[in-house]
Amino acid sequence: MFAERLRRSLAEGTSVLVGTVDADGVPACCRGVALIPKDDDTVTVYLPVATAQETVANVATTRRLAVCISHPIDHTTTQLKGVTRGVRIAGEHERELVTRSLEKFADILDEIGLPRRITRSVTHWPAFAIDMSVEETFDQTPGPKAGNPIA
Amino acid sequence: MNPILLADLFRCFQGVVPSILATSDGRGVPNITYVSQVYFVDERHVALSCQFFNKTRRNLDANPNAAAEVYDPVSMQAYRLKLRFLRSEKQGSLFDAMDLRIQAIASMTGMAGVFKLLAADVFEVLKVERVDGFLTTPAEPLPDRFSLEGLRSELRGLQWVSERINSAEDLESLLDRVLEALDTYFNFSHAMVLLVDETTQRLVTIASRGYGESGVGAEVQIGEGPIGTVARERRVLRLTGLHEGLRYGRAVRRELVSHESAASVTPEIPLPGLPDAQSMLIIPLSMNKRLIGVLAVESREAMGFGEWHEAYLEVVGNQIALGIDRMVEREPAADAPDVPLPVAAPAPPPVVAAKNKRTLVYYRNDDCVFVDGDYLIRNVPGRILWKLLGEWQRDGRTEFTNRELRLDEALGLPAIKDNLESRLILLRKRLEEKCPDLRLVSTGRGRFALQVAAAVEMVEK
Repeated sequence: MFAERLRRSLAEGTSVLVGTVDADGVPACCRGVALIPKDDDTVTVYLPVATAQETVANVATTRRLAVCISHPIDHTTTQLKGVTRGVRIAGEHERELVTRSLEKFADILDEIGLPRRITRSVTHWPAFAIDMSVEETFDQTPGPKAGNPIA
Repeated sequence: MNPILLADLFRCFQGVVPSILATSDGRGVPNITYVSQVYFVDERHVALSCQFFNKTRRNLDANPNAAAEVYDPVSMQAYRLKLRFLRSEKQGSLFDAMDLRIQAIASMTGMAGVFKLLAADVFEVLKVERVDGFLTTPAEPLPDRFSLEGLRSELRGLQWVSERINSAEDLESLLDRVLEALDTYFNFSHAMVLLVDETTQRLVTIASRGYGESGVGAEVQIGEGPIGTVARERRVLRLTGLHEGLRYGRAVRRELVSHESAASVTPEIPLPGLPDAQSMLIIPLSMNKRLIGVLAVESREAMGFGEWHEAYLEVVGNQIALGIDRMVEREPAADAPDVPLPVAAPAPPPVVAAKNKRTLVYYRNDDCVFVDGDYLIRNVPGRILWKLLGEWQRDGRTEFTNRELRLDEALGLPAIKDNLESRLILLRKRLEEKCPDLRLVSTGRGRFALQVAAAVEMVEK
């Protein structure tokens, strides 16, 4: 069951980052475009097909991934760690959700000085949808408590 | 396509858009995090700041491989770096440069001594690649690093500034001309010079441009905020992406307040300058290891200042420091004979018939003068004003000399390098802004007159 804190973190407009590692221990990073809870311990993270090839190749090999969700204004940040349940090309019915998430993100960044047109120019579709079984959640807000597990 | 050089990505390394960093532990569990700034070290190396011994740091000890994604804040184009962790530096020039930025942010957010750099983590850059397809519309090509025309213009600007410093007849005109030249040639439209007040160990704004009324007289404790930090450390500080840096700092502060370190956190201190500055360039002014003051320029642009501006302003700063020192050396010592008035010296200004009434209050306990309930000035310039007004009221005197001020022990001027001229400039400018009925008018070298155009009530408390 996700903690209340995590549910708040899953609100639209957050920044989504994905980290993976290949079989030789070489990490890769990629920016996600949306994240939604799927059931009590699974989330779906959306990554642009254009930029996520290495990430998808890594999860196909090692299955492990880390997802960081952060509020751009106050830097409240949560990290999820877990394993991949499946990777697919997101369906057309998910496009609105992904687009809305990017729009909300653009609105928030606009508030802190990054014009909407710049954020909107980031590729978001077509997207991979990775279902991730969440095994651990951590507080990652910058400061002395960063890295503490969230119950 | 030509390979991408790290130096081509200089805009990505300004801390305007946070970068991301992926690491992995020894068991192959990845970790992903934001980093507020990736620092360019040289063509094959970058550095990251280590402020807390966190998961990233532990992972690097187990597996030195890392991957970073950095963003051009102008186009938002992303670039990926494959990295290998080499070492942690806890001293040296790289550490000092990164530490100064963190100290400045920490001081601005009330976390001095709490939010600090533990180490500069240095990485070898194994590969740099542009993330094709990151943007729906390809970004413009990276900017040229050098522009001959720009260089010519900047050299002309330097020549212009230098000429103005050399031809200035007094400290006030020197500072005003330099700030004007910086604005005209380099669009440094928000600039200030603060000088050290040896008696209080504070920096006092003596000249400013682009701040309206509120600039001159603003004070900073040495060690406080970015300006005070530069004064204490005597090192140049270039802060870009300041909003992002402050947001990050405030996030840490919020966490500290809810943690056992709360007692170490102090309130944020309002500082002089633009409330919405996005970048700052601050240069210490010193002569023979003696700190004279600080030159600070600000911009509302996130990347208002580049490395070249830093190098350029250091040169300008050295010239200003020389100029100030020259002016101070030229001031007659207290035991020097009075300089005779020049033949063509203007007549002392008459006391203008008073129409207004001004009430000036001197608070002895904190050495402050208020005019009609508003703060006017304090410390030595406040005592000077009180002396001048007292003698005007008692004896009707309107003409004074710098020498007699130097000889008056009650004013508390230091015996050496008393900066009397800068104190008189400060007093003159504060009067212009806050009490234009009182004016100090130069009547020749080392001489001035008090011009009073109001009925003045003097109260001591």
